[in-house]
Amino acid sequence: MILFLILFPFCMAPVCLLASRKSTAARNLTACAACLAEFAAAVLLASAPDLSFSLPGICGLGLTFLSDGFRKIYCLVIAFAWLMTTVFGSEYFSHYSNCGRYYFFNLMTLGATMGVFLSSSLTTALVFFEIMSFTSYTWVIQDETEEATRAANTYLAVAVIGGMVALMGLFLLQSELGTTEITLLYERAAQSGNLPLLYAAGGCILFGFGAKAGMFPLHIWLPKAHPVAPAPASALLSGILTKSGVFGVIAITCNLFFSDQKWGTMIVLFGTVTMVLGAVLALFSVNLKRTLACSSVSQIGFILIGIGMTAVLGPEGSMAASGALLHMLNHSLFKLVLFLSAGAVYMNTHKLDLNEIRGYGRRKPLLKAVFLTGALGIGGFPLFSGYVSKTLLHESISEHAAALAASGQSALLFRTVEWLFLISGGMTVAYMTKLFVALFVEKNRDPAVQARYDADTRPMRPASAAALLIPAVLIPLFGCVPSVFMGRIASAGTGFFRVEPLHHAVHYFSWTCLKGSLVSILIGAGLYFGFIRTCLIRRNAETGTREYVNLWPARLDLEEVLYRPLILRWIPSVLGAVSAFFGENRVSGRLAGILFLAFQRLASWFGTNRITGPVAGKLFSASERLAAWFGTNRITGPAAKTIARSSEIGTHAFSDSLDAFVFLLRRTVYRDAPPPATDEVSTSSAYRLGALRDRTVSALGGQTGPETDYATLYYRMKVTENRVRSKLTGNLSFGLIMFCIAAVAVFLYVLILDRI
Amino acid sequence: MARLLYLICIFLPLLSGTAILIFRFRSARALKILTVACICAASAAAFAVLSADIRETVVFLPFSRTLSIVFRLDGAGRFFLGIVAALWPMTALYACSYMDGSSHLPLFFGFFCISYGITAGIALAGNLFTMYVFYELLTLSTVPLVIHPLTRDAIRAAKIYFVYCMGGAALGFASMLFLLSNGAGGMFVPGGTLSSHPYGTDITCLFYLLGFLGFGVKAAIFPLYAWLPEVSVAPTPVTALLHAVAVVKAGAFAVMRLTYNSYGTALLSGTWAQYTVMMLSAFTIFFGASRAVKAIHFKRRLVYSTVANLSYILFAFSLMTPAGQQAGLLHMAAHACTKILAFFCAGAVLHFNGLTMIGELEGIGKKMPVTFACFTCAALSLTGIPPFTGFVSKWHILTAAAGLGSVYAYIGTAFLLAGALLSAVYMFTVVLHAWFPGSGFSGLSVEHVREADWRMLLPMILLAAGTLLCGVFSGPIVSAAAAAAGM
Repeated sequence: MILFLILFPFCMAPVCLLASRKSTAARNLTACAACLAEFAAAVLLASAPDLSFSLPGICGLGLTFLSDGFRKIYCLVIAFAWLMTTVFGSEYFSHYSNCGRYYFFNLMTLGATMGVFLSSSLTTALVFFEIMSFTSYTWVIQDETEEATRAANTYLAVAVIGGMVALMGLFLLQSELGTTEITLLYERAAQSGNLPLLYAAGGCILFGFGAKAGMFPLHIWLPKAHPVAPAPASALLSGILTKSGVFGVIAITCNLFFSDQKWGTMIVLFGTVTMVLGAVLALFSVNLKRTLACSSVSQIGFILIGIGMTAVLGPEGSMAASGALLHMLNHSLFKLVLFLSAGAVYMNTHKLDLNEIRGYGRRKPLLKAVFLTGALGIGGFPLFSGYVSKTLLHESISEHAAALAASGQSALLFRTVEWLFLISGGMTVAYMTKLFVALFVEKNRDPAVQARYDADTRPMRPASAAALLIPAVLIPLFGCVPSVFMGRIASAGTGFFRVEPLHHAVHYFSWTCLKGSLVSILIGAGLYFGFIRTCLIRRNAETGTREYVNLWPARLDLEEVLYRPLILRWIPSVLGAVSAFFGENRVSGRLAGILFLAFQRLASWFGTNRITGPVAGKLFSASERLAAWFGTNRITGPAAKTIARSSEIGTHAFSDSLDAFVFLLRRTVYRDAPPPATDEVSTSSAYRLGALRDRTVSALGGQTGPETDYATLYYRMKVTENRVRSKLTGNLSFGLIMFCIAAVAVFLYVLILDRI
Repeated sequence: MARLLYLICIFLPLLSGTAILIFRFRSARALKILTVACICAASAAAFAVLSADIRETVVFLPFSRTLSIVFRLDGAGRFFLGIVAALWPMTALYACSYMDGSSHLPLFFGFFCISYGITAGIALAGNLFTMYVFYELLTLSTVPLVIHPLTRDAIRAAKIYFVYCMGGAALGFASMLFLLSNGAGGMFVPGGTLSSHPYGTDITCLFYLLGFLGFGVKAAIFPLYAWLPEVSVAPTPVTALLHAVAVVKAGAFAVMRLTYNSYGTALLSGTWAQYTVMMLSAFTIFFGASRAVKAIHFKRRLVYSTVANLSYILFAFSLMTPAGQQAGLLHMAAHACTKILAFFCAGAVLHFNGLTMIGELEGIGKKMPVTFACFTCAALSLTGIPPFTGFVSKWHILTAAAGLGSVYAYIGTAFLLAGALLSAVYMFTVVLHAWFPGSGFSGLSVEHVREADWRMLLPMILLAAGTLLCGVFSGPIVSAAAAAAGM
């Protein structure tokens, strides 16, 4: 069953590619059928008891899979999201080129993502994680515009570097603990106790998976990649693929570092920075999909806080764990709805700038309702599902802060986190209001465009509308009766976080819980009216209309300021310096020259028996012993000279014998080869032979033409030879040869003398 | 039976190659068919040896008490023989297409056959002397293949190649004499033939280092790698098979024999010699990868990548643990399969379209889809992306290094990962150029580009499938390597 879930999409991918060769309808049908079958399988898996399954020997490490509560839930979510986006995609892609490629890699990514979420060991997760990163690359670059290429390269760079670093962490873990099975990590780590190494390994893995999740400071790919990818792909990238990174973070935080205060606090801090930063970026953005992407960064921050709190609280972290899990799930749903709505806008207008698409949504009740549901959900309004998860997260922080204060410890940190949490929630409300107002309330600055937008009363086909509506309906449904759906999901999934399900029912609609949400909403309203409407909307001097402006300073782009120069300029220049310094030419010039000289000196030391004591440390004492072993006294001055001379002759012999071989070739099998270039003649022996031939020819009364004038050739040859020789003598290998031949000669000399 | 099969593996290609050189065929077609047939027959014999699990010792030519030509197949030898026997027939088929239109085919195919027999001899060698003899013969038999285009560059390259290999051989010779005079006849036995340090630790280390550098010349260890980029002027089948697989892997294989079966890891591990060779190979990994990033010539980039990857193998061997030996053998197989594939793709581009620089490959993937799909597999495998075979071997090297636990091993792993990252850079720039040319691309520059013919595509597809399947179903290979390493 598990294997089917993973392999089936991989098998269907080529089928879909073939179908897309045939016709668009066939392609859509195949893809939808594949996703539907996958969804059915996921439902079956979810209703079946827990399974575990392993494939030893595959990929050298063996793959292990497991389906427990958390994994089953996420498989369902994945299959559902894929089904919806594929249905929506059949309309969205109707005017696209290169669609076969998109669908092929779309299904591959589905299989790989299933693999990540069903894996029970970190290595298995990494295997599928890497596949997923590479196949989803094609989503980002689908349009092949300059912007898309740039974003895709960023995406790939982050994925590859993240993958490598995670791999490093994994092998450290494997060698320290002997396993990467997620459930075994905690016990093994407790036995091992080598904390510095475990922190190093955990840090590497966090880097790798955090990069995919969009954790600060590795969030850079998200705001670039999501806007350029096609909308269905953006929905999946944001809703599902980032969660695979979160999966890895949970695996180490709640298993390897379960109830580790330091680690948990670190994750909470990373989460807080990510949450605030994403929200601020989203507030400033004037691009519909970019806002949503930045919002994803922010929401991942919320989830990370929940995960970090689980680790901080240890066994008492049920509430934080449920909150994190539910917020993951909610965020998948919201982003599915919101990105598909954005796709509906883009599909009709081919624009994403808020000023251009302003007023598009007026008189489109369905789109408006769906978008509003998503916005209310993500803003955490009561009766919508986002409220439930945010409340749980908020409660867990405030309870911990209260507990700390009660026990007399400083609760400043967690109080700050709590307030930042509420403020970020407020910012979420503010930027979602900004989007909603721009799209559905205000009128476009150009009345003609607005008229055209208003005339377009049927923005999408029924199938696409259904794909939007179904996930949108789930949001209030989950939110209105939280204990029925959300409670069950939470209690099924928290096992993965190593905590017990919530014992007591949470009174979601009690005043304490509602307070947090209301504070956020008030902050949001304040921000919207006090900041967005006053600062971020300016009157355009030329047209006289009010426009959204992007006031975010471009200098603060971490990618442009730090990463790109680091990777594209600084590291290559270091590499260039390394390779230039150690490369052939320099080695020949300096390093090898020195080495060669050293070898020569060494040889002369051998000869004159000058090494008498521990002159220069170990090397010399070793060579001294070597010399003693050879019989130092026997090798005297003349012998050294002979050796040097013979090695010189030897080198010439190498060169000559090769020339002779070339000559032989030319005379025999290569007789029809083009005549050699004149300056290819090399050694003096060739000159002597040639000169002899010249003289013979002139003695016999013949003419020597310029081609056979060996005196000139010898001159030219000398020039070439000098060049070659400088190359050769400067070369380390030449030095080595001299040394070896000397060594071999010494061997023979000693052997013979010993025998006599 | 064993004797016969061993001899077929070695002498069938040797003799048929010599026959090709002597009886100069007029018909290129007959020549190609004969070559492919001989090589396939020899490979069949090799696989018969492998599948029958023959481990007999065959004394072929006894010279004296200590010097004799002995053939014996142990685990590591089986590994090497398997690689050679699998890849040679494919290259032969590829060469049939690649050498279309060039002259002096008998010379090329003759030496091509001969070098097969000699490489098989290295794999089958049962003692140091036998290996040394075949090792030297390999140098001699491959020089004509390098020199084959007979251009100025080719002659220069052949000279450099010859000088380097002979220099290395002289160093190796010194090490061999040391072993022959102090070990029991230089037979390859697990754990080595030296029972103690005959003249103190330093002398043993010094001679080991000499041997490592000597045989390391062929494995392109820094600073003795310079011949390898030069010989990339040779025809692509030669660059692909000999200078990415047979010759260079023979160097790594010889280093392995020297370390594990002659000196023995018990004497060497923990000495300064071990740390020296570890650091040398770790540096070479980084160095080769950084050169590759800077190279703009397609084949040269791959060559520098070979330099780096050979040092992965040497680094694994220099760990001097069974896990290290296993990892080294695995990477030997993985890299052989991957790099030959990458070279085949580069050769296909070069032969059919005359393109040599990476900048010229913009958008070529749309015209040569199969070739570049295969190249993408090679790139993924070389970078070490699961589930490709390169991932499996890199994983084993890394865990073996971490298992050693010394500071040097950790430094090495850092270099190794940096190398892997750089390999992603230098391979994927090519892949991305080819598939995603960017918005300014009009298609004019690749208008006349055509796809390779079946004789090239078949080996490429087989190898691409190999890199994937050997990665996914790597269980048997991993356990074979473990058995070879005595784990």
